[in-house]
Amino acid sequence: MPCEVTPKERLGCINPIFTCQPCGAQFASIGIKECIGIVHGGQGCVMFVRLLISQHFKESFELASSSVHEDGAVFGACTRVEEAVDVLLMRYPDVKVVPIISTCSTEVIGDDIDGVVTKLNAGLLPEKYPGREVHLIPIHTPSFVGSMITGYDLAVKSFVSHFAEKTEPNGKINLITGWVNPGDVTHLKHLLAEMDIDATVLFEIESFDSPLMPSGNHVSHGDTTIDDLRGTANAMGTIALNRYEGAKAAQYLENEFGVPAIIGPTPIGIRNTDTFLHNLKTMTGKPIPESLVRERGIAIDALTDLVHMFLADKRVGIYGAPDLVIGLAEYCLDLEMRPKLLLLGDDNASYVNDPRVQALEKNVDYDMEIVTNADLWEMGDRIQNRGLELDLILGHSKGRFIAIDNNIPMLRVGFPTYDRAGLYRNPVVGYAGAIWLAEQMANTLFADMEYKHNKEWVLNVW
Amino acid sequence: MPYHEFQCSKCIPERKQHAVIKGKGETLTDALPLGYLNTIPGSISERGCAYCGAKHVIGTPMKDVIHLSHGPIGCTYDTWQTKRYISDNDNFQIKYTFATDMKEKHIVFGAEKQLKQSIMEAFKACPHIKRMSIYQTCASALIGDDIEAVAQEVMDEMPDVDIFVCNSPGFGGPSQSGGHHKINIAWLNQKVGTVEPEIKSDYVINYVGEYNIQGDQEVMIDFFNRMGVQVLATFTGNGRYDDLRAMHRAHLNVLECARSAEYICNELRKRYGTPRLDIDGFGFEPMAVSLKKIGLFFGIEDRAQAIIDEETARWQPELDWYKARLLGKKVCLWPGGSKLWHWAHVIHEEMGVDVVSVYTKFGHQGDMEKGISRCEEGALAFDDPNELEGLEAMETLKPDIIFTGKRPGEVAKKIRVPYLNAHAYHNGPWKGWEGWVRFARDVYNAIYSPIHKLALLDISKDEIPTDKGFETQRMLSDADLSDEIKNSTTLREYTGKYNCLKDLRKKTYAPFERRELADAV
Repeated sequence: MPCEVTPKERLGCINPIFTCQPCGAQFASIGIKECIGIVHGGQGCVMFVRLLISQHFKESFELASSSVHEDGAVFGACTRVEEAVDVLLMRYPDVKVVPIISTCSTEVIGDDIDGVVTKLNAGLLPEKYPGREVHLIPIHTPSFVGSMITGYDLAVKSFVSHFAEKTEPNGKINLITGWVNPGDVTHLKHLLAEMDIDATVLFEIESFDSPLMPSGNHVSHGDTTIDDLRGTANAMGTIALNRYEGAKAAQYLENEFGVPAIIGPTPIGIRNTDTFLHNLKTMTGKPIPESLVRERGIAIDALTDLVHMFLADKRVGIYGAPDLVIGLAEYCLDLEMRPKLLLLGDDNASYVNDPRVQALEKNVDYDMEIVTNADLWEMGDRIQNRGLELDLILGHSKGRFIAIDNNIPMLRVGFPTYDRAGLYRNPVVGYAGAIWLAEQMANTLFADMEYKHNKEWVLNVW
Repeated sequence: MPYHEFQCSKCIPERKQHAVIKGKGETLTDALPLGYLNTIPGSISERGCAYCGAKHVIGTPMKDVIHLSHGPIGCTYDTWQTKRYISDNDNFQIKYTFATDMKEKHIVFGAEKQLKQSIMEAFKACPHIKRMSIYQTCASALIGDDIEAVAQEVMDEMPDVDIFVCNSPGFGGPSQSGGHHKINIAWLNQKVGTVEPEIKSDYVINYVGEYNIQGDQEVMIDFFNRMGVQVLATFTGNGRYDDLRAMHRAHLNVLECARSAEYICNELRKRYGTPRLDIDGFGFEPMAVSLKKIGLFFGIEDRAQAIIDEETARWQPELDWYKARLLGKKVCLWPGGSKLWHWAHVIHEEMGVDVVSVYTKFGHQGDMEKGISRCEEGALAFDDPNELEGLEAMETLKPDIIFTGKRPGEVAKKIRVPYLNAHAYHNGPWKGWEGWVRFARDVYNAIYSPIHKLALLDISKDEIPTDKGFETQRMLSDADLSDEIKNSTTLREYTGKYNCLKDLRKKTYAPFERRELADAV
């Protein structure tokens, strides 16, 4: 069978593709304005996630820890949460939203964070902070379940379900972007503006790419408001771009408030962007304007310059977030390329039921492997020991040494991409993303041809 | 030396005793900040956990070892590729990280089978590596897996491998420091004394508490080689596992980072009678004193002096070029644990900067004691810094630069304070004479970056200077400098290479004659 989906055979993990659930919840929480999450666990669960996020964005984001030490681990650490909430509220007077994010340690010892929230809502908040709007939101993200991807999905749903409140229809749509970059949000909002569609974007993270101002403003933070989240129940529909990052929230809004949900496809590449615009049109009745026809035309023109001469038949290995990996694979196929190995980095059993994966299984006519619960060794081992030949790798920075040590050109995509400058500023979604991806892939291949003196003269007459 | 109360921490009064201002004429007995106490929850402290202190800081710099964490995937992923502890074996320890990937079913039923299988798989994937270090995490500690038993089982089945187990869960102590302690003692108990080394010199040391950040260890080993001193093992940067098993045979433990690795030195003294000698690789004078102390211990002061003379002659004019331009610049010295006292005095003496604040994230009171005694009068010293206090301090003190970690460096950036990475360095190595000049160059480049000057301009309000198309660091740093310094023919900028390790790694050393052999003739 040319395209096979198999789980990783080994039990252990060598060079993980993902980190654990609390990271996803932390990433979601920094997208909300006046929100500082408290991670209930050891301090490393926060310190390293903050470092990871700051490696990617070259910015610092605020996240707190309940700082569980031995005594808490032995006797229970709920009082650490109570103290953390109080200290945080005292010192950050603007904070209104405080997700309480659990970890492996506090789930194992069985700390009842829901109970703590109930207690604080009845005691500390009305007694010490009367009149102050504070939302404590328990988010259960044990690290031994799922991955940062499911943690993100869970957290988005927790935020939406905490706030969403049915009142009057607001004439907007909800756009749940999934785990993307500021450049993606900017471009998605541009597409919405061209379509004349008013949308609540979850989350407003353009400000993650924050300026260094003469005034010395120091906070880098998301801009999604409590009102934005409340209003999600009153939208005419929800589009969740990613199946695994945000779909739970879309589903919740549909089930709970009858807000129709469209899940996916991840608008990577021309075709998936077309579908996204079609979905917008269907949901709102707004036509696709000439300006986007033209924008699409510019993209198609750019791709036509590249595909047959340079990209055709190039063998690609892709790893990272599942929606990103699948979207990139689909796009590569449209570009005449050959994705040979796709790595999906957690044990989510539903990947095999993903219609996009099933379509690959059905239609790909050359050898392609899709590995679930994968680690990066699945790629390194195939290249070093099992004869896999790749012309290009697409993935995040943690896999950089596969490319470096095997002399395979690599385009950094996804999260985190700390070993390249400013990638978070560029979109991978929409027509602009299609152009960026194709041209960066081409330029990456070109640079490699030059370093290796591999038909570098071809570029003389292009 | 009164306690200092941060405005932002008035509501958590227990913080007051964690900060002091070094007053005129006062001594440490007037006040010393509290240290190494439990963190206040929700304070957005900068501390990490005891797992990272053990695995990430001390364990992983060992270069020929599979580093396997027994727990859910995050601990492993998060501590992977976030430090610059390099090695001369192609950085195996940076490139590869291993986890048992503990899942929910393991929490319920135990994960020892998963652990054993993961160990076997790891050795199979890396057939050239026969050594392993296993790190416990919060989750595996709480479910009570017996990691030692599993490791022993594997060692019984695979006689060519050796496994070290470090039980240091993230919650074990107020900060990463708890993990330093645990791994020191665990290594000593399990591994020291299990290999007999080949002794090649009359002068044999262990180099302890050195993590080869950007090549520091390799710079220092060069000096030891030039003195004819054999380094049995480095604990742990660029260190080999089996070398570290032979630590008991050294004549002397030369200790660099006393915060993270004094425990093993003290125990080696107790158990094997090996003396401990504290040294300091940062700065010309500390370097000279350190080599002299080692020379004195072995009676080879002349060898030390020869190196000191050569290196000083080579690099002093370059250090002084920077010193002349850094004079009086205000520094917040905000590292992790020990650099506050390693650097406080010497950056003042040798680079001319004033240390206006020191802090320590995971240091103990002893570190603070040393740091305070070495920084300038009026300096603000605080323990277990948190986000708001750091900001308040920078806004009050208006430093010209801070030396701190990567993420706090991003916070400083936003209030337009240049930062240097005190943990991983900007353009290291920073140890040794040349390294110290590289550090000075990094400080100079950061302070006199034209970008920082541009960052201060508000184009909506300020007069926009239109007379220049560019500025160089030199135009900024030399504006008020005397002609004597500007036109000096002796002072010069750094003349080394971008990667000063390349030549070092190719270097060979003429052997010194052994005393016993010489006696025998």
